[in-house]
Amino acid sequence: MPSARVERKPKMLKFILKRLALGVLVILGVVIVTFIMTRVVPSNPAAQWVGPRATPEQIQAAKRELGLDQPLYIQLGIYIKNLFTGNLGKSLKTHQPVIEELKNYLPATIELVLLSTVIAALIGLPLGVISAKKKDRWLDHFSRFFSVGAVSLPTFWVGLFLQLIFYRWLGVLPLGGELSTNIKLFYQVPHVTGFLLLDSLITGNMVIFKDALLHFILPGITVALYPIGLVARMTRSALLEILGEDYIRAARSYGLPESTVLWSYALKNSLGPTITVLTLSIGYTLTNTFLIEAIFSWPGIGSYIATSILSLDYPAIMGVTIFAALAYVVLNLIADIIIALDPRVRL
Amino acid sequence: MKQIKQVMVLIAGLLALAVSVTACGPGASPTPTGTGSPTPSTTSMPQVAVVALLSIPVTDWDPAVEFSNGVMILHNVYETLLRYEPLEDTFTPVLATDYTHSDDGLTWTFHIRQGVKFHDGTELNSEAVKFSIERTIKIGKGAAFIWDPVDKIETPDKLTVVFKLKYPAPMDLIVSSAYAAFIVSPAAAQSNPDDWFTQGHEAGTGPYKLESQKMGEEVILTKFDDYWKGWQGKHFDKIYYKKVPENASRRQMLEKGDADWTMELTSEDIEALKANPNIAIEVNSSFENLLGFFNTEKEPLNNKLVRQALSYAFPYEDVVKYAMGGYAEQAKGPVPKGLWGHGDDLFQYNYDLEKAKDLLAQAGYPDGGLKLLATYNSGDETEKKVCELYKSELAKLNIELEIRGMPWETQWELAKATNPDDRQDIFFMYWWPDVTTPYTYLFNLYHSQPEIVFNFNYINDPELDKLMDDANLQAGIDRAKAAQMFVEAQKKIVDEAYGLFVYDKNYVRTFNKSLKGYKDNPSYPHVIFFYDCYRE
Repeated sequence: MPSARVERKPKMLKFILKRLALGVLVILGVVIVTFIMTRVVPSNPAAQWVGPRATPEQIQAAKRELGLDQPLYIQLGIYIKNLFTGNLGKSLKTHQPVIEELKNYLPATIELVLLSTVIAALIGLPLGVISAKKKDRWLDHFSRFFSVGAVSLPTFWVGLFLQLIFYRWLGVLPLGGELSTNIKLFYQVPHVTGFLLLDSLITGNMVIFKDALLHFILPGITVALYPIGLVARMTRSALLEILGEDYIRAARSYGLPESTVLWSYALKNSLGPTITVLTLSIGYTLTNTFLIEAIFSWPGIGSYIATSILSLDYPAIMGVTIFAALAYVVLNLIADIIIALDPRVRL
Repeated sequence: MKQIKQVMVLIAGLLALAVSVTACGPGASPTPTGTGSPTPSTTSMPQVAVVALLSIPVTDWDPAVEFSNGVMILHNVYETLLRYEPLEDTFTPVLATDYTHSDDGLTWTFHIRQGVKFHDGTELNSEAVKFSIERTIKIGKGAAFIWDPVDKIETPDKLTVVFKLKYPAPMDLIVSSAYAAFIVSPAAAQSNPDDWFTQGHEAGTGPYKLESQKMGEEVILTKFDDYWKGWQGKHFDKIYYKKVPENASRRQMLEKGDADWTMELTSEDIEALKANPNIAIEVNSSFENLLGFFNTEKEPLNNKLVRQALSYAFPYEDVVKYAMGGYAEQAKGPVPKGLWGHGDDLFQYNYDLEKAKDLLAQAGYPDGGLKLLATYNSGDETEKKVCELYKSELAKLNIELEIRGMPWETQWELAKATNPDDRQDIFFMYWWPDVTTPYTYLFNLYHSQPEIVFNFNYINDPELDKLMDDANLQAGIDRAKAAQMFVEAQKKIVDEAYGLFVYDKNYVRTFNKSLKGYKDNPSYPHVIFFYDCYRE
């Protein structure tokens, strides 16, 4: 029905715009709530700015410098105004602009999360399909055992265990970090996008690429473990449901090869929920990554967040919270769009 | 079926790729991956030292501002006029070759070393020294207060700096302070914006230049070819400070030779490392001590007898043994052992519950029945253990101790509450010196203060104030005499039992045995002067 398709396009645009507007509201809400919360917690940002051994005069001067002598609503107004120019204030601890620090730390985290998610899809999907196909056979049992394990094992434990095996016992993989010390010290590490693997690849720097890939393996697997399990479980159950549908039975009765039925007909229709879940799980993976980063000394945003929270470094906390909210909003939007792309869904 | 096979082939391919990358990884790359381990014997191979740290400690790259452990890196990039050796009570000339002072301690003359270059290529002279110190005073952040005695700085010639003081002060100790005493290049400071240093730039005279840094993640230093001491003999070419937040990871790196030096390991880790023949473990005394402060403005601790009772109820030995794993020594007064002005013959409270009971009875609390609140810095497991051990001892006296771990900021706010009754009863805190003098302990912690900053005993005793102020003035004239006077002041503090003198901490250094030349200096906590180190 071509007419239905034509009608769908403006609806889709309206749908996306509506979602976007909602997203902006959500972020604004997050900014206000976080701002107030970080200020209600008893702390003295001015004292923090000047360090633990400041004189009262130094603290007073810092108060003026940071604009903390203004009423809270004015401070909030200034903060939101600055937000539009990309100014997130300066970290109380490092005295650096928060936005610069985010730019510094985020690429490593994003690269780790996205690449792990791709790996999760590459491994999880076939695992789920095989599982559904060989339902209740040993392959299915194994795959279910694996995916339940992957979802439920504490990731920090997995990380430490992998380090023990591959670094300490076998000595084949590095303990942590993004690059080896010598590569870091004696090679010009390319910086184009900030994503190390991508940068070394596009500049054709294979030594660095190999080294970075080696360093990626253990944290990458650790991060991917949860989404692998999730995707496998999701694909399996969605497929099993679809395999019982009439049109599959029809396809089979036409004598289509089983593989075509499974991979072209059934899988395509079960992908929707799987991709949605995978997209939404990136949000979870992001938070999960913080712990894994600490274990693997991964130069991402994780430990930055931990230290900011522990030291009540409110500009940094705000910056990270805004980023996380933004990530969730965007991921949700993508998930919504994926669902909406399914013609069976009414917008 | 065919597709399944294809997928299997794809997965197998990916695995094979991973394995092949692994296989040709460390071995095939032109330089070995595992550093820290002895590098090949060819002398052309650059020597790298790797320091694995819980976090990169620099909070501000501006040497005038930095007032934390970040100086462990800055001391390799910048230099001070003198370096103090507290255990021998001597000074090593660095940027100054020698110095004299007037009998009244009000005029100090330093002669500046000739032929010293800053990393930006300009030359050190007396103007640069004057500029650096005046810049620090003007910014007024961090430890800038150490220059308080300075009235004016004169530069009669290119290589002479004269400090005229408002009151006598030990300028030799001040110019060798671990904080706020660095000399920077005026050319670099003047030709760049104010926050140029803070943004992660430097312009020092030290043996190493800052090659690169990623705030909070890593710092790479590389040798400065024009360093005034020259590069004859064995030295490191590069120093790599790396953040490794996991204890287990730092320990493993050290064991595998991937790190040369680390700190902040648990006492269990240290025990385990003792068995490793490649790892050196050094236990050094430090000037960092744990002190407890009694709230003397609040019932019942406004009573000297109660304070003394609580001092006798403290399990000093158990705390050293169980909370510190033996790496500490019971403190004798507030000034730590090894620092001039420490009172070796000061009275020391011991653990004696009977005596504590007697004193409580004398104070009018024969059955105890007190409720006290102790605060400590949350996240510090050692302080927590200390408080818990104390709590169980006090329970035997029928004193209920509530222990509350709080972030430093909140703990501090509570201690500064306007009403003394709203404050804590006991405040636990570590102290360490800025300038290596007893006055930093006594003035900050026991001197009366118009506004509470660190005097958490809330003492306001003019007689005690005078004792320590006089001693401080004497320090600029005759240090031996001043030391005696500082001990006198401490006698009063100990007798009044204004607080608990818990322990002087030992620093346990764990490093690769191939790292030679490392010497701990408690005046510069955690600083590794890398120019003196080499690999063998």
